[in-house]
Amino acid sequence: MNAIATASRPRWLSVVGILGVIALAFTVWLGLWITPPDAVQGNLARLLYIHPPIATVALYWAGGVALAGSLLYLWPRTRSFFWDRLAASAVEVGAVFSALTCITGSIWGRPAWGVWWAWDARLTSTALLLLLELGYLALRRVPADPAVRARRCAVAALLIALDVPIVHFSVVWWQTLHQSGTVLDPGFRLHVHGSMAWTFLLGFIAFSLIFVWLLGVRYQVEVLQDRVGDQEMEISLAERWDEGSELIGVGTAVGTATPERPEGGGQ
Amino acid sequence: MSYVDGGYTVALVSLFVYGVALVLRRRRWEKAVKATDSEEPAGPGTRS
Repeated sequence: MNAIATASRPRWLSVVGILGVIALAFTVWLGLWITPPDAVQGNLARLLYIHPPIATVALYWAGGVALAGSLLYLWPRTRSFFWDRLAASAVEVGAVFSALTCITGSIWGRPAWGVWWAWDARLTSTALLLLLELGYLALRRVPADPAVRARRCAVAALLIALDVPIVHFSVVWWQTLHQSGTVLDPGFRLHVHGSMAWTFLLGFIAFSLIFVWLLGVRYQVEVLQDRVGDQEMEISLAERWDEGSELIGVGTAVGTATPERPEGGGQ
Repeated sequence: MSYVDGGYTVALVSLFVYGVALVLRRRRWEKAVKATDSEEPAGPGTRS
């Protein structure tokens, strides 16, 4: 196996992934079989052991990493493709979690509210978050110089980050069908207790660990893609240079000079 | 299937499928790196 390929698989990432799966298994076991039904919602409340943690990952973890990575790329003193790749990875994983936020929320909303979807401020701003993330991923596929692509994507990530506080405060700023704080109210008072609270907490930990693992693997893919892209560029430039040299070589025969080939052949 | 079962199934299956897809993508790109290291024009070919 190639050195870069093996070097990009740190052991801690595998440990995080295994812990995430174990924590998720316990969350499902506690959430579906151990915790009691809610006094008001009955068994439907069991969906809330996964929906708020998924939304937290989509909004704060993925949004936060994308924002931090993009700002650190845009800031000249910290500019590095590491931050660009990290932000891109966070946006892709975040898009998966944003989609799951909408889907699990919708599945909860149908029996609770009587509708699959409502153009409520929280739901609409979350759907907008997903659309912005998909737009970022589309922008990333537009062929461009890596530095230009990274700068464009960093600016796009700032637009995603602008939506995060709107999603968070939507239930405070507007009258919404979506309830305000599910676990904590604005005064940071806990709404759930006992085994339900522990299951909530475990759910947050489980989905956070799964996010870190997915982010790490996605980052490795990004590094490998760039590595292949760079090598293909070098090979392509070397081939073009050889073709050019042959043509100029023909020209030399009639009196033109042959330029020297640069070292490395690429960028 | 109840709404609760449906919600858990969708969430867990989606994350599982995405995770497996990422691992397969990583494996494919590792092979592509190995191929380009030996100067072969192999690999997935597109760069996103």
